Amino acid sequence: MKFKKLFNRIESIKLESVTKSYGDRFAVRDLDLEVRGGELMILIGRSGSGKTTTLRMINRLIEPDSGRVSINGANVEDFDPVRLRRSIGYVIQNIGLLPHLNVSGNIGLILKLEGWDQAKIRERVSELLNFVSLPPKSFMDRYPHQLSGGQQQRIGLARALAMDPPLLLMDEPFGALDPLLRTQLQDEFCKIKKELGKTIVFVTHDINEAFKLGDRVAIMDNASLVQVGTPEELIFEPSNELVSEIVDSKRKYRHMEALKVRDMMQSLDSGYFLEGNMPAEIALRKMVDAGLEVAFVFKESGTVGKIPLNEVLKAGNTGKSLNDISKSLLVFPADASLFEALTQLKEEGESMALVLGGEMPVGLLFSDRVLQGLV
Amino acid sequence: MVISAEILQATLEHFFLAYTALLAGIIVAVPLVLLSLYSERLASLVMKFSNLVQAVPSFAVVAVVVPLIGIGFTPAVIAIMLRVLLPIVKNTYIGLFNVDPALIDSAKGIGLTEFQIIRNVRLPNAYPAIFAGVKFAAILANSIAVLTALIGGGGLGSMIFEGLTNFNTAKILAGTLPVIAIALFLDFSFSVLEHRLTPEYLKNET
Repeated sequence: MKFKKLFNRIESIKLESVTKSYGDRFAVRDLDLEVRGGELMILIGRSGSGKTTTLRMINRLIEPDSGRVSINGANVEDFDPVRLRRSIGYVIQNIGLLPHLNVSGNIGLILKLEGWDQAKIRERVSELLNFVSLPPKSFMDRYPHQLSGGQQQRIGLARALAMDPPLLLMDEPFGALDPLLRTQLQDEFCKIKKELGKTIVFVTHDINEAFKLGDRVAIMDNASLVQVGTPEELIFEPSNELVSEIVDSKRKYRHMEALKVRDMMQSLDSGYFLEGNMPAEIALRKMVDAGLEVAFVFKESGTVGKIPLNEVLKAGNTGKSLNDISKSLLVFPADASLFEALTQLKEEGESMALVLGGEMPVGLLFSDRVLQGLV
Repeated sequence: MVISAEILQATLEHFFLAYTALLAGIIVAVPLVLLSLYSERLASLVMKFSNLVQAVPSFAVVAVVVPLIGIGFTPAVIAIMLRVLLPIVKNTYIGLFNVDPALIDSAKGIGLTEFQIIRNVRLPNAYPAIFAGVKFAAILANSIAVLTALIGGGGLGSMIFEGLTNFNTAKILAGTLPVIAIALFLDFSFSVLEHRLTPEYLKNET
């Protein structure tokens, strides 16, 4: 039996007015959510908020009472559940490796059921083990009880990737690990996420994990969706008290990893820019009049030069033009990571940088002001 | 010499009786429990029935077979089978149902069919428990096979009862000693087998 995946890539996953209740308690109530192809969507909320139920409705482990779940426009109810699940990777917190099978048996289980031959399975298993940074030679024949929690979780991920599904569902995959290991696996996952190029729906209750990994985050509470947005949107425009409480926006510095340069820059108007051929003494007067500590010039090379006030003073009436005394400065695109920008500033011993929106300078980033703004 | 040939003959009969019944018990019990996985009603019916049979004294089970089926080898096999059903059913049931829910969930989530879950997850998980049940059933079958001599099952039980009625101590011992020996042998050999068959991951846990 040769298996054909139901879909090779994900355009979108749509949940439309989806409701699921157990008795008179709603697990998910009238939920609308769209996951775009290629993004990592985080579902976050307290326990019992409906995030896991939502996840499990995508691969039909739970069937909604009403509403529609569709992948690439096709209702998942029209798919055979087994074929659907084999087209979707699934990773859970408890991993669920079969204790009587070794690593290779666990990862290759579905491949074997799909009728792959032994040699091909072995090849695929070593490929996957390499991918999750476990040397195949020493791990293939081990049993789950001989593995650490982190190693088991890697095997769980490798197993989910066995059929090379375009979509991954992950339910608190790092939840049971100790904090140090969790951070490490998150970092690794961040890296391989790009290589994977898959659409991922990821359930967590840890906001730091959500902001670290997620392209967008959907906050759920009490069986309903509260807000969906990028980490920045949630931090800066929380739709209600609950969201700001969850994202902890009063203590933004904790989420600096999620912030972009744009979020913390001072905007810049054209008054900061002076002509490059302007003599220093004229510039000095202009700057003092405008109360500027620093000005900028566009250089012929297309770059921007920095003119600190003290340099202008020093040049005095030597007849030098601004071009002569301009200094180079660090430039960051507006969507660069704030954290990396600050790190680089610190390394260069600089306290400010210019922020570009596209080609145009749009703002200034002052390292000391950023920290004041954050704390 | 006559006696020892008689003892050997009776022992073989005894063995044959007990293990035909045990085999019948396994053949009836395991599929019943597997089917119970699909139907809760069947599951509760099977459990209730085997609990009931367990509650009835062995002697009564053996006796009640007579008016229903008569006497001889087959009724004896059926009586023993009924009696050993419970340990096999119960252990198989426990083994198949007491699986870490995460295992079932992840197996289902990666796309195993119900049947594949039974075959690849539930059954391997249940082997140790089923084995323990069969071990207990084997020892039980050995002792009930003595009682079934009363309804014409033959074997060592016949010797014991004959000895008892005639106050023939030698004959009583000739019947009981092999039964005891068989019991000890079973216990020992099953334990060795159990240790060999238990997967590594379970040994480490205890």
